Amino acid sequence: MAKAIVYLNQFFGQIGGEEVADHEPEIRNEKVGAAMLYDQLLDGEVTHTIICGDNFMGSNEEQAVDRILGFLKDKEFDIFFAGPAFQAGRYGIACGAIGKAVKEEFDVSVISSMNEENPGVKMYKKDIYIFPGGKSAAKMRDDVTKMVEFGNKILSGEKLLPAEQEGFFKRGIRHQYFLEDETPAYERAIDMLLKKINGEDFVSELPIPEIDTVEIADPIKDLSKATIALVTSGGIVPIDNPDKIQSASATRWGKYYIADVDKLKNRREESFKTIHAGYDPKAADADPNRVVPVDAMRKYEQEGKIGSLYEYFYSTVGTGTSQDEAARMGKEITQELIENNIQAVIETST
Amino acid sequence: MKLELGNFYVKDIEFGSETAFNDGILTINKEEALEVVYKDEHITEADLKIVKPGDMVRLVPVKEAIEPRYRKGGGPVFPGVTGSLLQAGDGRTLALKDMSVLVVGKHWGGYQDGLIDMGGEGAKYTYFSKLKNVVLVADTDEEFEKQEQQKKNHALRWAGMRLSEYLGKTLKDQEPEEVESYQLDPVTKRSDEVNSLPNVVMVMQPQSQMEDPGYNDLNYGWDTNPMLPTFMHPNEVLDGAMISGSFMPCSSKWSTYDFQNFPLIKRLYQEHGETINFLGVIMSNLNVVMEQKERAAQFVAQLAKSLGTDAALVAEEGYGNSDADYIACLVALEDAGVKTVGVSNEAPGRDGGSQPLVTLDPKANALVSTGNVSELIKLPPMDTVIGELESLARDGLAGGWEDDEILGSSVKEDGSVIMENNSMFCGDQIAGWSTKTMKEF
Repeated sequence: MAKAIVYLNQFFGQIGGEEVADHEPEIRNEKVGAAMLYDQLLDGEVTHTIICGDNFMGSNEEQAVDRILGFLKDKEFDIFFAGPAFQAGRYGIACGAIGKAVKEEFDVSVISSMNEENPGVKMYKKDIYIFPGGKSAAKMRDDVTKMVEFGNKILSGEKLLPAEQEGFFKRGIRHQYFLEDETPAYERAIDMLLKKINGEDFVSELPIPEIDTVEIADPIKDLSKATIALVTSGGIVPIDNPDKIQSASATRWGKYYIADVDKLKNRREESFKTIHAGYDPKAADADPNRVVPVDAMRKYEQEGKIGSLYEYFYSTVGTGTSQDEAARMGKEITQELIENNIQAVIETST
Repeated sequence: MKLELGNFYVKDIEFGSETAFNDGILTINKEEALEVVYKDEHITEADLKIVKPGDMVRLVPVKEAIEPRYRKGGGPVFPGVTGSLLQAGDGRTLALKDMSVLVVGKHWGGYQDGLIDMGGEGAKYTYFSKLKNVVLVADTDEEFEKQEQQKKNHALRWAGMRLSEYLGKTLKDQEPEEVESYQLDPVTKRSDEVNSLPNVVMVMQPQSQMEDPGYNDLNYGWDTNPMLPTFMHPNEVLDGAMISGSFMPCSSKWSTYDFQNFPLIKRLYQEHGETINFLGVIMSNLNVVMEQKERAAQFVAQLAKSLGTDAALVAEEGYGNSDADYIACLVALEDAGVKTVGVSNEAPGRDGGSQPLVTLDPKANALVSTGNVSELIKLPPMDTVIGELESLARDGLAGGWEDDEILGSSVKEDGSVIMENNSMFCGDQIAGWSTKTMKEF
């Protein structure tokens, strides 16, 4: 019989409300709360329930994920359910984070459900199956039913249909598909052409993602008076990575004080290193100035070519980082730079 | 210009004492047919086979497909290629329908060659499994390219054309069962009624990205690489002016058969005078250098504008680098006020997660998508293989590989295969037949 494990937060795991949102992750050898509903509907059995407080996951994601993956190491399971998270943002993000990790570590299908407004949808729809869900727990039965029906289909080995037919959020994963009605491309092309000519609605078979281009800024009038900041997606951080920036698919950034240094010291000197997993770190670890060129900027400062180098540099990791996350981090960093009256930024990538 | 295509439907093909077409049966004197093949001294070994839909036969490496035809009056079916130049698209040409001549390498394949399964689950991946086929399986002494991944396949492709003309000649003195008539009045001399309809052109981007001669599609025998976009009559395309080349992963290619039957053109003809005024074909190409791509797009847009075009269908024979030509052409047309629909395949990778075209532009907002070049396909062993199965793994076919740390070789010991759609013979059917699309999963 197929085995499933369910992830719930402190509330749906019947620990309590917001006051216990710091509840540390635990695994129980039983069906708790909503897990019972999954068990009823599933062509199989829910063997365990994992419960974790939303705040605990939110502020200690790496630790929480590691501990949960540890719980699962010796368990046999064929499918993993997380949520439904409705419109609860922290819960949605938690379901996505743990779901993604479970999928990567154990290569099983992971299914969740969230309301379309839940930020977890945008962050994780590419990584796991997320079904559009209700706004609140009133929709619990409907949402779980959708998730389990799809889970049953996966377990039975039945061929999965495109996202629009199965109902989960599109994941940006495109495969070729033989049309049931065998409409040839020449009919589809003519149909689309006539509709476009006549100003009628048509559906492109390859929707072009919206391209968000940024206009090039005006040049700086007097560089010798400008304060310039260094920003990198090359993952240069202090040796202990105090902001716990992820090595890939980053969601965090950090800023590091450099007003008192002429150049960044390297990893051997226990100062700066790179945590970027997308390139060979050898050169950056040997001389982090090659990614964040503090030494060159100091020289320009001395020469009077630039006014000054800003006292912090900003860092995150670019590899695998989604466009949405990159844009959010970029906006947050820009906000600080504007508040501190920075005129220009040199952005180094790798 | 008026083209009459006289159709003869082939019910069966068999070998016999005399090459003739009678009552739907094409009989072939094999010895005599092979003499035609051996007219080129570079052909060292050759044989003919007959395969039909449903046969449990796998053909690989397939190099070309051609519809056998006879040009009334006896001129070459492919002017400038199999004979001297003459105007194609005006007059009567007779065709053996529901069949093709397939050209298969006896041993050696290359990047551009493909695979056809006539039966079983692999049959759906190519159009040619639906046809009865005369298969020329042959080898050559073209030693210079035997070990090359890119092959011109000159001797084999030309042998295929000779053979198809030889078979087409059986129709010489016969009356066709059916005549398809294709006629367009000169662009400036059309009735008010037709002129009042939206003006539409078909923009074709045939494969022309090899700078060395011998690989690209030919236009009346002229290499399409050093060609600037030009205005052609659609009848010319349907009547042998264009032949397929020998470059590009196979699923993205247009065979010569595809040019002869180009479904997008035939469909535009159906609408002509009803919903659109079909102006004709702008024959563009695909390039390597950015400036060449931009120049071609600029020429297409200018021609379209000068012709008073309202809307255009654009089809690309290729993917990857040439997506830049495809998108540039669509954008140039949209910028010129021409409403466009594009037809091509995509390359989002085996996992389907990558960017589908090399370049994207929001102006390309109406695209028909005919397949994923990298889709992984597993097929069971077949009773018979024509050609050499090992070529799929050994010879650098675009969708085959010799070794992969997870998947192993494309060709398994039991004769089953694992391959990318890339090597399905003209599999993405960008000429318009494709019943495949792309969906999000």
